[in-house]
Amino acid sequence: MENRSLPQRLIARPEFGPFVLLIIEIAVFWSINRDFLSPQNISNTLAFTVELGLIALAMTLLMTSGEFDLSVGSLFGFSPVLMWTLFNSGLTSLEVGFLAALLVAAFIGLVNGWFVTQLKIPSFLVTLGMLLVVRGTALFVTDGFPQRTWSAEGSWLAEALVGDFFIGPFRIYMSLFWFIAAAAILGYVLTQSRTGNWIQAAGGNPNAARARGVNVNGVKIGLFILSSLMASLAGVISSLRTSAANPNSGTGYELEVIAMVVIGGTALTGGRGTIIGTVLGILILRVMRNGIVLIGVPGLAYNIFIGAIILGMMALHSWLERRHQAGT
Amino acid sequence: MAEPLIRMTNIKKSYGRVQALEDANFHVNEREIVGLLGDNGAGKSTLIKVLSGAVPLTSGDIFIRGKKVNLRSTSDAIAQGIETIYQDSALVTQLSIARNLFLGREPIKPPRFLNRMDQEAMNVVARDLLKQVGISKNIPPTTPIGSLSGGERQAVAIARAMHFDSDLIILDEPTNNLGVAETQGVLSFVRNARDSGHSCIFIAHNIHHVFQVVDRIVVMRRGKVVADDIDPKKTTVAEVERVITGMSDKEIRDAIVEGRPSRG
Repeated sequence: MENRSLPQRLIARPEFGPFVLLIIEIAVFWSINRDFLSPQNISNTLAFTVELGLIALAMTLLMTSGEFDLSVGSLFGFSPVLMWTLFNSGLTSLEVGFLAALLVAAFIGLVNGWFVTQLKIPSFLVTLGMLLVVRGTALFVTDGFPQRTWSAEGSWLAEALVGDFFIGPFRIYMSLFWFIAAAAILGYVLTQSRTGNWIQAAGGNPNAARARGVNVNGVKIGLFILSSLMASLAGVISSLRTSAANPNSGTGYELEVIAMVVIGGTALTGGRGTIIGTVLGILILRVMRNGIVLIGVPGLAYNIFIGAIILGMMALHSWLERRHQAGT
Repeated sequence: MAEPLIRMTNIKKSYGRVQALEDANFHVNEREIVGLLGDNGAGKSTLIKVLSGAVPLTSGDIFIRGKKVNLRSTSDAIAQGIETIYQDSALVTQLSIARNLFLGREPIKPPRFLNRMDQEAMNVVARDLLKQVGISKNIPPTTPIGSLSGGERQAVAIARAMHFDSDLIILDEPTNNLGVAETQGVLSFVRNARDSGHSCIFIAHNIHHVFQVVDRIVVMRRGKVVADDIDPKKTTVAEVERVITGMSDKEIRDAIVEGRPSRG
């Protein structure tokens, strides 16, 4: 095992497959349409990529612990609706509304975690129920209509979250820095910290982890809260950037986010996760969505490609896992 | 006579109307390997679960070096120096050897608020421990447990118990599903653990394995300890089988011929 060469070790890594796929994707789209790598297209792609990416980063840790969260898409829609409703009604400032949205999201994460760990209900069912509760609340509160989104210009919150500036020809949003910071911190937590060891153990063999004194339930509840907070933050960022707060926004994001995470190499069954892989998974799916439109494939065909990528990546990861277990 | 490391007196455990343990008395001395034998349903597993804090006892007392203890959870037992190694559930297959060894007690590099594991220190200790427990192959401590053989996994679990100064290591069926060479390896790991000052309880269905490694054999039948001082050097497997089943030679032969046990 220790005698493997550097290329062999690189190929054996779960991130290798997604990395190659991303390179191929970019090369193919660029060879068909040179605008694919234009500064404007890269800026546009990155803007939304990082918003969905924030959710995927938290989902990586949660899935590594053996759970997942289907309520993130509904929170993505609900949190900005709550923030703008509080602000529009004059009850709070935008900043306090934002904090209230985060607090409610944290509470929702806590409830998810409590149901899963204390009542022993599978996270699929708990978060499916929460998805409907949160989405239903957003629709009920707003009568199904988008909220007025007064220009948030001048607000330090908007500047901090989605302020934009140019680096050469590239338009960069502040959210990109939040995404990079979140990826760096969560990558560190997962691979370097004691908490990361507990997360992997909680997903890999919860009984063994408990027997060693690891607070498995505490770890999982914390990750459900993190997942909800990131979904809420992503929703608010998206809302501020587009000046829109639609109670229906975020529909279907939960599955896209889970796809990003598993394509990157995180095991759906828990115990193994990779933040670098997730970043690659995020880019693969967003580049695919952007690229197929640019080269003239109908956008409705998007899911065909995504499905094929998921199947292909799962086959690759399964093959790598078998090789890994065989020690080759 | 010196106080034994572990003494369990008049242990009763019932599950509803089922009496799993009835006034069981059991002890383990310092630096001793005790083989715990008994037929299915004899109460071995329940006795071990009580001692490892996995299930509460109904009545009775447990003493460690003469001091009465209350083991309410597995964490309590670990804190009191009692480590139980189940064949498949002790380790996390996705984590490396070093990370498994230190799971729950990872050393932290300063500054502590960064919560960063000292992976170098973990690897150094893991390498030493693997040598100490007797693994001859050069296995890097970063190897995931999933790619180790069953015997090597047992070795890692035993090494962990040794490192954290567990006074008593309980091995539940450690040789199940292992080949001949691997079984011999595990038996040698257990001897090494005793030689390093640890006591062990060895539970196995294969009496021949027990005979090879233990200092004393304890036999349970129907929730009670029926023999607790059998010296494996002064008896035979057949004798111990008779104690386990509670049958004479003729009754055992008849049961084999008829295909049904005639327990008296």
